[in-house]
Amino acid sequence: QHQWPPPSHHNDDDDHVPAEDEDTGAQVAPIVKLEEVAVSTGEEEEDPILDLKANLYRFDNEGNEWKERGGGNVKLLKHKVSGKVRLVMRQSKTLSRSAPIILEHSGNEKSCVWHASDFADGELKDELFCIRFPSVENCKAFMKTMQEVAESQGEEEENKDASAAAGLLKKLTVGEDKLEDKEPPEKATDTNVKGEQDV
Amino acid sequence: MALPNQQTVDYPSFKLVIVGDGGTGKTTFVKRHLTGEFEKKYEPTIGVEVHPLDFFTNCGKIRFYCWDTAGQEKFGGLRDGYYIHGQCAIIMFDVTARLTYKNVPTWHRDLCRVCENIPIVLCGNKVDVKNRQVKAKQVTFHRKKNLQYYEISAKSNYNFEKPFLYLARKLAGDTNLHFVESPALAPPEVQIDLAAQQQHEAELLAAASQPLPDDDDDQFE
Repeated sequence: QHQWPPPSHHNDDDDHVPAEDEDTGAQVAPIVKLEEVAVSTGEEEEDPILDLKANLYRFDNEGNEWKERGGGNVKLLKHKVSGKVRLVMRQSKTLSRSAPIILEHSGNEKSCVWHASDFADGELKDELFCIRFPSVENCKAFMKTMQEVAESQGEEEENKDASAAAGLLKKLTVGEDKLEDKEPPEKATDTNVKGEQDV
Repeated sequence: MALPNQQTVDYPSFKLVIVGDGGTGKTTFVKRHLTGEFEKKYEPTIGVEVHPLDFFTNCGKIRFYCWDTAGQEKFGGLRDGYYIHGQCAIIMFDVTARLTYKNVPTWHRDLCRVCENIPIVLCGNKVDVKNRQVKAKQVTFHRKKNLQYYEISAKSNYNFEKPFLYLARKLAGDTNLHFVESPALAPPEVQIDLAAQQQHEAELLAAASQPLPDDDDDQFE
């Protein structure tokens, strides 16, 4: 028979939860010897003009649906010599890249948000992308910067389809408002959910 | 370090065996790392699927050949034959399904018969789900068998890098090893013509009408 709440001495059970990154693994002999090397990010000749946290999505034509590409920091990088701008996103924690490249002469500024050549895996691939921000303010900052980039790289006149697309983009932006009203998702932790009884 | 039937690369690579009951999230976890996608649909893995997974560390590039094995017995194929020459391993269970944790000792026993003295990480997956059945303090098997344990969520990406970081540190014997930015290669010049642009606009309209993945997935970190 279990009491609720459990007697205080049961709290000692928390000691059994592994401390952050406590190593409970066996001692094993290493099988490789690695030397520290200089890290080259590939961004050394670029200036960051925007750096924001975001989630990135890729449109899967086959399944007719959006797929996650990753979440982490998204940077717009401007080359110091050529002035060209590209977008680099690195997955949080592993810092792997998921980097689409902004098309040159891609029409108007709003199209840039959606379409890019993807060079994340070392070969060019045409992809549709969508980017989602934690706040409307960040989304506006991103779009403003994108607009400035597009203008500086030769904006073409907006056509009818682009206007419709911009409207659809605004719908997604409005969706961000709803996200703000949500409580942040409950973070996964090692502790029991409050009030949950042990069986 | 080439293994049988694996391509040779000029940087360190390791065979990583991933085992555990069917439906615990082994394939979804690997796919999350490979493409960023979270696969909701359950398709049982048949036999084994091998995926090369690269990470960049302060000690250079490393690769894990992820041997994602069948968890369901009927799709087991060569079963523990896939473990041969495994250099590290992950045992996956689902914290929302008690039976998958009860079966961990069996997976561990079968694995250790073939791979002696390799670093092994036990992973409790799906910790994003509220109604979990196996609580953190109930997980004790790792202490008895000298495994490392991480609570993870392939859905929320909670702790999703830690199994790989732990194994890399063990294999290299370097507790200070850490992940660094992968080089963002300079892309080639991109040209676009009007026909392609019109097609892009059409695709854009179609894509924008589709909803993004579930709002519940929406986390920023």
